[in-house]
Amino acid sequence: MISWILVIIGEILIAVGAICDLIAAIGMNRFPNFFVRLHALTVGTIGGAFVPLIGVALLSLGAEFLGVYRFFMAGASIVSAVLLLFLAPVGSHAIARAAHRSKAATVHPKVVDHLEEDRERGVVV
Amino acid sequence: MSSTLRNIVVIVTLTLMVVGLAVVLTVGGFGFSLPPHNVRALATIFLNTTLNLDANYRYVSAMSPEAVTAIVWDYRGLDTLFETSVMFIAIVGALAISRGATEKLLKTSPPVLGMSLITKTITRITIVMILAVGASIALHGHLTPGGGFQGGATIAVVPMLLIIIFSIYLFSKMITIYKAVTLRSVGLIGIALSSFIVLIIAALYGGSAYIFQNQPKLHSHYGLPSYAEPILLGGTLLFFNVFETLAVAFGFAALFILFTIPEDAVKSAIMGEE
Repeated sequence: MISWILVIIGEILIAVGAICDLIAAIGMNRFPNFFVRLHALTVGTIGGAFVPLIGVALLSLGAEFLGVYRFFMAGASIVSAVLLLFLAPVGSHAIARAAHRSKAATVHPKVVDHLEEDRERGVVV
Repeated sequence: MSSTLRNIVVIVTLTLMVVGLAVVLTVGGFGFSLPPHNVRALATIFLNTTLNLDANYRYVSAMSPEAVTAIVWDYRGLDTLFETSVMFIAIVGALAISRGATEKLLKTSPPVLGMSLITKTITRITIVMILAVGASIALHGHLTPGGGFQGGATIAVVPMLLIIIFSIYLFSKMITIYKAVTLRSVGLIGIALSSFIVLIIAALYGGSAYIFQNQPKLHSHYGLPSYAEPILLGGTLLFFNVFETLAVAFGFAALFILFTIPEDAVKSAIMGEE
């Protein structure tokens, strides 16, 4: 019973991950400028990689036919998921900061950019 | 209209290529078929001799469950020694070309060092993990895939991250080029001593042994312990892996420091006097 619940929750999480990946791919193609595309990219890394990895962990915990190896699979998935949760936001943060500081990416359809205004006033380095 | 046509042509071509490659690989074209039987006989020999507790195989077995490490450091240890020395000579060449360029020339440091606080915090967490993974790859080299070079290259990611994220000005206060090259030489001396260690043991007992010998052979019954219940030690393979890790990691660290020193600081030292 409990293993069935784990399998079903895991499959739902993997399906959510696949949908997030699809949304991220569409966003990467359709969004107008660099920073909004980076937002779509992070949907792909957290929603499309972290969530399905947790799903894989739950799924393998529920799959009793794997024997004792299901704990190895679940542990490896959770470790990879936690690493992704740490590293993916830092990577996109570093890319975004570098792009904004070096003015390599133009923000074309722009409503407001407080960080740029602060840079011009000299509040933020 | 023409762009739609082009898209359709691209999609059809890619699909045909993928399906064609799949078919060809499945039926075994392109020479990617299964290897012939005599090659598999060679594989059988290696599988029989890498770890075999049977008495008939005792004097030909390398006593390491990982066939690649056994081949690299036992079957063809001298080859691997020359590979290591090729890399050492490359690093010596890089140091010789840029003689005079040390981190001591970095005097005026910019006011803001390194990347943002978020990046630095996460890097502090991840370098510990990278060190642990590298050490496990190196120390388990005789049991699982991996080994000294792979572990050392993994550990070499740590100085690279520290230099890029915390800046060369801070990293060169932790490890200088001189210290890195010294530790690398310690690793190389360790490799050289490990290749003679069975010979030294045999000489102490008044017998004879081969250079690069690991396990007891037919005409020289000396060797390092390969099996301390319940763990496999792998004889000299463990020593080779540890010292190779030291040599590779600090060799890369020295190169990274050397190549990330700003050109302005060292230009006059490299060009020398006219």
